[in-house]
Amino acid sequence: MIVIRCPYCNEQRTEEELSYGGEANIVRAIEPDTLSDTEWTDYLFMRNNPKGLLQEQWCCAAGCGQWFKIERHTVTHEITEVIRFDQQFSCKKDS
Amino acid sequence: MTSAKHGYRLAAGGVIDRQRAVSFSYNGDHLRGYAGDTLASALIANGVGVIGRSFKYHRPRGFYGTGMEDPNSMLAVRDAYGFEPAIRAGQVRLSEGLEACSVTGWPSPEFDVAAIAQLASNVLGAGFYYKTMMWPNWRLFEPFIRRSTGFGRLDSAISRREMHHRHEVADVLVIGGGPAGLTAARQLAHSGLKIVLVDDQPRLGGALLWEAVSFDGVPASEWVDRTVDALKADANVTILTSTMATAAYEDNAFTLVEQRADEHGVRAEHHWKLRAANVVLATGMVDRPLLFADNDRPGIMLGSSVRRLIGEFGVAPADRLTVYTNNDSGYLTAIAARKAGIDVPVLVDTRPQGQAIHAAAAEQSGVRCVFDSQIEGTSGYKHLKAVTVRGSSTVESIRCSGLAVSGGWTPLIQLAGHRGVKPVYQERESMFVVRAAPPGWHVIGGAAGSLHLTTTLAQARAAASAIGSDRGVPMEQGADVSVDCMSYGSISPQWIPDCGARSRMWVDFQNDVKVSDLDLAARENYVSVEHLKRYTTLGMGTDQGRTSNINGLAVMAGLTDRTINAVGTTTFRPPYSAVRMGTIANRRDGDLHQPRRYLPAHAIHEKLGGVLEDFGWERPDWYRSNGADRESAVEAEMVAVRNHVGVFDGSSLGKIEVTGPDAGLFLSRFYVSNMATLKPGGVRYSVMLKEDGVIFDDGVVACLGPNHFLAGPTSGNAEAVAGWFEQWRQTEWPTMRVAVAPVTANWASIAIAGPCARDLLARLEPDFDISPEVFRHMQVREGHVAGVPARVARVSFTGELQYEVSVPSRYAASLLNTLLERGSGLTPRAVGMEAWLRLRLEKGYIHLGSDTNGRTTPLDIGMGGIVAKRKDDFLGKRSLSLAFATSEEREQLVGVEAIGGTLQAGGRILASGHERTPCPSEGYITSACFSPSLGKSIGLALVVRGNERKGETVSVFSDGSIIRCRLTSPTFYDAENKRLNT
Repeated sequence: MIVIRCPYCNEQRTEEELSYGGEANIVRAIEPDTLSDTEWTDYLFMRNNPKGLLQEQWCCAAGCGQWFKIERHTVTHEITEVIRFDQQFSCKKDS
Repeated sequence: MTSAKHGYRLAAGGVIDRQRAVSFSYNGDHLRGYAGDTLASALIANGVGVIGRSFKYHRPRGFYGTGMEDPNSMLAVRDAYGFEPAIRAGQVRLSEGLEACSVTGWPSPEFDVAAIAQLASNVLGAGFYYKTMMWPNWRLFEPFIRRSTGFGRLDSAISRREMHHRHEVADVLVIGGGPAGLTAARQLAHSGLKIVLVDDQPRLGGALLWEAVSFDGVPASEWVDRTVDALKADANVTILTSTMATAAYEDNAFTLVEQRADEHGVRAEHHWKLRAANVVLATGMVDRPLLFADNDRPGIMLGSSVRRLIGEFGVAPADRLTVYTNNDSGYLTAIAARKAGIDVPVLVDTRPQGQAIHAAAAEQSGVRCVFDSQIEGTSGYKHLKAVTVRGSSTVESIRCSGLAVSGGWTPLIQLAGHRGVKPVYQERESMFVVRAAPPGWHVIGGAAGSLHLTTTLAQARAAASAIGSDRGVPMEQGADVSVDCMSYGSISPQWIPDCGARSRMWVDFQNDVKVSDLDLAARENYVSVEHLKRYTTLGMGTDQGRTSNINGLAVMAGLTDRTINAVGTTTFRPPYSAVRMGTIANRRDGDLHQPRRYLPAHAIHEKLGGVLEDFGWERPDWYRSNGADRESAVEAEMVAVRNHVGVFDGSSLGKIEVTGPDAGLFLSRFYVSNMATLKPGGVRYSVMLKEDGVIFDDGVVACLGPNHFLAGPTSGNAEAVAGWFEQWRQTEWPTMRVAVAPVTANWASIAIAGPCARDLLARLEPDFDISPEVFRHMQVREGHVAGVPARVARVSFTGELQYEVSVPSRYAASLLNTLLERGSGLTPRAVGMEAWLRLRLEKGYIHLGSDTNGRTTPLDIGMGGIVAKRKDDFLGKRSLSLAFATSEEREQLVGVEAIGGTLQAGGRILASGHERTPCPSEGYITSACFSPSLGKSIGLALVVRGNERKGETVSVFSDGSIIRCRLTSPTFYDAENKRLNT
């Protein structure tokens, strides 16, 4: 069971109280019309699936309702960093 | 059935309460045991020998173990509180009035007709159903095979067990209440750490309950009592007995199943989810069988089980017991049996010699030990009669009624396996152990492969100290206790004997897998341990190969010239032992499955005879006050709306307030229509998409003021749409000046629809002008209605003149009452969901999720024009120009009229040129009903290239028959929109 301390309400939340929002830092283009079909479908569907550290977004759904970001090891589920949405990962790794 | 050669109760001994007799029944026979017995020990004490039949050959089988390692003793068991369809006798504590029944063998395990399968054993080898039964056709054999396999009995009686979910967080979870777990817990107690100690037995002590051990000169039981007392004195220690740790997950989360029993049975079951910073795995180990010909006869049992029967339950499994071993623990069995007065004719050791101290002790208690010897075979069909012992130069037949076997030890490390630990084979002790424990774990005692109690206790103290210093709590150094007991000694395994038929050596007792089956699997190259398991079904029984796996993979290693480590074990997955689905569902059943949501005017709907259905909310499907049955009531309700006026409670419709200077712009980014141009007082219908271009929701947006909008998502998506707004606001557009507030439950919405709707609204005396030229279709007003604050939107779902009157929820009932009371002369009728949905179907309005699916885009439902007009961006817009969305072969929304016959939702449209099924399909009916206004059966459909096919006649496969239909425009009723604009 994944347990994360929400960086906004500062409460420990278990997986059941959180909702998962997939990989973090998938930026939506300001003008999608200028993208090629390939660029747009990459944005829609292509995600990293590393065996290792992944930066992802979660929502404190049953708590304060805020979205935040974490870095999680996909094998061990170890969480190496939790940040507010407007913060940058201290980040050794750029995925 | 009782005879001395089978099991019997010893005159003394055991930790059972001989003052408290317990009566129970087995297959209708009334028997007696004692409080503290398991069902297994009580049955053995009553002389029950054959407890079941094997899966494939229906061989007679007896008790092979006394706990969950036993592959044989599956029974159906009923106590005062509930029923277990198939459970090992050793896992059931005896309770007064308990009823146990066989689940294998017909008519009884003693006499089983299907045992004839043994005659066919030559064609029933591993994988036989893939091979033998392929000719002429597997299906010929399948029914017979299915009937003759499987076991367990179902009972629909509702369990009276109390179920609870429990959640807990602890500093330390100690799994196993034997000497290792108790010592670790004792040392950690009184340190301030929160400790949870679990054990699957009702009484703590583990093997100390039955092994001959003393601590500092006193019997182990006294040491256990003292230790448990000390633990109970610490309020931070929780002791859960009769509790199985069933699974281990990441972050040291565990599930536990705790049974709470009284003298009548298992009264309650608690399903725990527990998280711990540190874990002490002290689960012990289990004995292994030895392979030899006819090693499955009733009367043959694991050596440690024999010691447990004698020591814990005061039960002898046989009056004359041979012991067969490849390690020193066999000697402990022989000595314990002799002490209990059981005749032990011989101890057969496969090794050239046993440990001196063990051998000496055995011979001192009068046991003859023979070395370098093997059991070549056994005799006796329903019960063991004799064994044949082959020495280096001699063969002798030993008459005996029991045989205790010990093939070495298997540490119980399944829980570590759940965390992805790959067990490593340790040659010297011939066992798989945990080398790298998961973070925060300490594996100690038998689970760590310890064969000496002193080592076990030292490991426990070391683990406790490590946790103490980890957590920064001071820890008193536990005093060394001097332990007096015999160790389990050393082992030298011989996996397969040199003598005896391999086709009669059972590796897996439950699934009838023999050494010859492993030979076959090796010959056919099913040599990977996972393939071996599936091909032969080794370890796939309900015991999950607890006794059989290691022997099986060791044999495979020998056959393929690999090391045992190279073969490896199969993957351990949760749960560790069977967990009933009912335990997991727990109380989430019936009314407790999920909270019911009631409309704020619920009481009025009940009074009106509303027939409630669960639409996510409890909503009236139709009203008994409108007709005797559903069809006539629904028709009356539809007619009311079409001819005078109907009143419909739409309070569950989503309501999301969106405010701020950027509110209009914000909403425009979600909806296909441009909401930024909406003026105060205006209302607009639209759909919103996910980024892939597929419709996510539809509804109206009302502009209440310059910076104030009210979005109305569908009832089912109210929460999801609010979450969707909020996600984008926070993550992608954090600089937009906008706030999102879901207010669905704050407002009740009652719709008034029909030609007389305005007259009815007027009777509520609104404090604003509702004349048709001022308050027009697709407009909204705020003010007071019937004296309470109200928002009134003039929108239509039915195609008639319609107002949606929203008032604060607390006024819902009085608004509904007032409408019906003041409507005299207008004959307003309450309208339920079904009539409401049929009315919109006549009008051709979509019902999200019925008329759209996971592929439908706005282009498919006739909104292409609106999309084309939008110059700026909205979510999902870019996807609408991808090839999938612009394809010629899209399913598009059309109307369907039946030409004779009745349409049904789900009917498939046959591809052009086909009149019979099976054939390709070109779409399906998404909604259908009989239209009273039109006098015919109509529907909506998603049809390939539907837009250009209007007027075409198609065939529809509908509930078994094929009917002819015409494709039409989706709007069947008032295409000019005269009525709703009245």
